[in-house]
Amino acid sequence: MTSPLEAPSYTIQPLATLSPPSSSRTWQSAPHPSLPLVATACSDRNVRVYSLTSFTLVHTVTGGHKRSVRTVSWKPGVKGQSVLATGSFDASAGIWRRDERGLEDDFTAQKQRGDDDEEEDDDYQFSCILDGHDSEIKSLSWSPSGQYLATCSRDKSVWIWEELEDDNFETVAVLQEHDQDVKCVAWHPEEDILASASYDETVRLYKEDADDWVQIAQLNGHDETVWWVEFEGSGMSTKDFRAQRENLSQERAQHLELLERSGPRLATCSDDRTIRIWRRKPKENRQYASQNTGIPSIIRSFNIDEDWFQEAILPQRHDRVIYSISWSRKTGLIVSAGSDGKIILYKERWESQVPNGVKADGDANAPEDAEESQRTPLTEWIVVAELFSAHGVFEVNHVCWAKRNDKGRRHEDEEIIVSTGDDGEVKVWTLDELKT
Amino acid sequence: MDLDKDNANPTIINPSDLPCRRRECSVKKREDGSTGLFDNLTPTYNYLSDPFDGPDSSGDSDDDSVEDIDEQEIYDLISSISDPEHPLSLGSLAVVNLPDIHIIPPTSPHSSISTVVVEITPTITHCSLATVIGLGVRVRLEQALPPRFRVDVRVKKGTHSTDTAVNKQLGDKERVAAALENGTLMGVIRKMLATCE
Repeated sequence: MTSPLEAPSYTIQPLATLSPPSSSRTWQSAPHPSLPLVATACSDRNVRVYSLTSFTLVHTVTGGHKRSVRTVSWKPGVKGQSVLATGSFDASAGIWRRDERGLEDDFTAQKQRGDDDEEEDDDYQFSCILDGHDSEIKSLSWSPSGQYLATCSRDKSVWIWEELEDDNFETVAVLQEHDQDVKCVAWHPEEDILASASYDETVRLYKEDADDWVQIAQLNGHDETVWWVEFEGSGMSTKDFRAQRENLSQERAQHLELLERSGPRLATCSDDRTIRIWRRKPKENRQYASQNTGIPSIIRSFNIDEDWFQEAILPQRHDRVIYSISWSRKTGLIVSAGSDGKIILYKERWESQVPNGVKADGDANAPEDAEESQRTPLTEWIVVAELFSAHGVFEVNHVCWAKRNDKGRRHEDEEIIVSTGDDGEVKVWTLDELKT
Repeated sequence: MDLDKDNANPTIINPSDLPCRRRECSVKKREDGSTGLFDNLTPTYNYLSDPFDGPDSSGDSDDDSVEDIDEQEIYDLISSISDPEHPLSLGSLAVVNLPDIHIIPPTSPHSSISTVVVEITPTITHCSLATVIGLGVRVRLEQALPPRFRVDVRVKKGTHSTDTAVNKQLGDKERVAAALENGTLMGVIRKMLATCE
């Protein structure tokens, strides 16, 4: 049963190319939080919204931006309407809304029947513009609760916006910790913690402390621009390989307990062609600090810093810069893509039998961080699928997981991989498990 | 001052036919659709739109002609770029030199992506225009070469006081893409590339 290290166990199969494609570069795609839709940021200044049921274009969001749309994000947890945030090289972010009442049920049927795009009510309505950044917005992201929107820019800053009411957005923080362009922002799935990745080769984490957002951790390790940052899903230890708890050695059981106390981990990818996994060192007094409200705020401030350490470097399979990674919320698999046109799939598992000290990851930890929890990596990441030339000879700018929703869906939880390329195409892939 | 007379002559006369045709196409498009500020910039993506003329056939039919591309041809494509400061070509100023151009074939039989590495030599070590020159070279090659080429433009090690910073900028796709949407900068680049026909 023990397959040789990095033996492929899946194939990545093409399912569809979303049609019609853009005639110029597409940057990033975001699956809708509840509907079978994906929004794609395009360099032609538009956003294309495709159906993941019919794989065709259902809306084009136009007229809002003067330059490339670089990034899109759907607001989660909204009932009755879809709210889309768009970030552009024109330094502004746009908020767009579309009424979805009554459309959830027969949404796809309607879409397939005809092109009602001319009906105004059917379109995404421009709702408001968020001005503030001095130069290109590179990434934006809603917090899981939908309360906050984070944006980042070449102007080296990260902004956090809060919607008070009726399109009235307030700037709650301007974070200027980075020395260079900020490439990507991402939210922790359980806590209001924001992560940002930068051209300055660092990753920073922020949290609100007594009404002020402050940096709580700086992650050093990458040798080049960090292009993407993403947190692990919530409660993954009950979904991935860790769910099987029978007959675990004491060592492994202890490791799981530590992992759970750490909470969701963080994944980053870089121009240095590595993907790194970071983990929070559990605080001994975490519970005391957060529960005891009687502690003076000065002390709480002192305690707010978090210690994140590099837990692993994934096997290096990319030849050029890695632009994007995505961590499945269902299976814990990580998918990556980049300039070399490859899509690579990684899986974590218990380290095979004898820990013979071969793992290079152990040395990569800074000596001062070397404590029991990170000294012995009990798990390892292996490559389980590799796809060449996903977008022909073109670069792949973004890759993410989405729920499968077409007729061919094989089970309720089936996921697809959505890749976005320089060829203007958004492609959809399925995973087939190899039977050996 | 760095005028290398040996290099001055052969450069401008020798642009290869294929890239020149492509270049003419892009100029035409630019003139046709010149209504707004950003329409002028659409030729940036010419290398993207080319394959859509024949999305599937381009792969095979292109390949034969594309195999011919060698360092000399790359040199011909970029040596005729004008220096943004001097009325001279990058070839005659020895900013681009044939021995500093390398084509790296695909790293895997599954891949058809080749890499062109061009190391430029700024005329003086603190030349502030090194980034602009590098950008011009990158734009020229991305427009002229088929998309299966990745273009890495760097400042030759030790020839520039901030070569690491310049290299990082030139290698950053997002920064390059944004720069190409900057009208002023594109004006400079267009002027530099105007002598490439």
